[in-house]
Amino acid sequence: MQYIVRSPEAEHATSTGLNNRKLLMWAFLGSDAMFFGPLIATHLIYRTESIQGPIENVFNIPVTTISTFVLLMSSLAMVLALAGIQQGKMGMFRFWTAMTALLGMVFIGFQMFEFTEFAHKYGLTPRTNLFGSTFLTLTGFHGAHVTVGVIWLWSLLFASFRGKVKQENSLDVEIAGLYWHFVDIVWIVIFGVIYLVGAYGVEERVLNGAHALAGLGG
Amino acid sequence: MAPTPWRGWGASRMAAQHDLHHEEHAEKHPSPRRYIQIAVVLCVVTLIEFLIFYGNMDSATMTGIILMLSALKFILVVGYYMHLKFDNWRFSAFFFFPFIIMISIMVALMALFSNLTR
Repeated sequence: MQYIVRSPEAEHATSTGLNNRKLLMWAFLGSDAMFFGPLIATHLIYRTESIQGPIENVFNIPVTTISTFVLLMSSLAMVLALAGIQQGKMGMFRFWTAMTALLGMVFIGFQMFEFTEFAHKYGLTPRTNLFGSTFLTLTGFHGAHVTVGVIWLWSLLFASFRGKVKQENSLDVEIAGLYWHFVDIVWIVIFGVIYLVGAYGVEERVLNGAHALAGLGG
Repeated sequence: MAPTPWRGWGASRMAAQHDLHHEEHAEKHPSPRRYIQIAVVLCVVTLIEFLIFYGNMDSATMTGIILMLSALKFILVVGYYMHLKFDNWRFSAFFFFPFIIMISIMVALMALFSNLTR
């Protein structure tokens, strides 16, 4: 079953026939993807090149899997909030927007826990080695994106109580939702490529790298 | 039924364009039920990824399966939650063109520094 969405703001004629604000958001998301891509590639290149600091597998995969569940559920909450406002159900919109923001805050909490564990348990900080620099830069920027999203969502929620977010301007919520889902898909890639693929058999690869460096006199 | 007054060829074409414009912006979005079904699939796929990680599998097979499952989750979120499956194709073009550039940059970087990647 589907429902029809007719956004009044989209009905202003534009040269492309598309809503300019929505098009701008997609263009921004495309540019943001180009921002994250090289960060991921840089980590994949340098993750085993550390000559000091922790070389064992520092990732806590069960905890990260739970935080991934949390972010996926926040995406569901976001899309339900959008469905709510597009159908004029303000209560549904407010409840699911608050849930999205809260789940985003829980995700940031998980990330803070992980960073703290790295620092205290393994002594891993951005200054420790190449692994720490590239990993914490990548996930730190992702966390910053989540933080911006959480602030945006709380702002929308408070604006709705002041009557500034209504069914007529549901496009505001749709654009915020696009940003939030983008943050989610970036995490889907980070979780798969960096955590699962990256952590699998990392000790063996690091030892191979150390032997190769020793062979070079490094 | 009263006959439609003549508005001239230009007016008729503009009216037709206006109708088309309205039609283009009448988007069909999935129901909340479908959104929940997608969320269940996303969670199950994440659980499978987790179980694969702790399964005894050779690295290449594990990498291939994880990448395919991540791609599946990516497509589901972009297609359904971000509505690209239902929106105008030009939104997809605006996103996937830079996305292809991103993949190209990643492949180029990995190839350039292939002596470091193991």
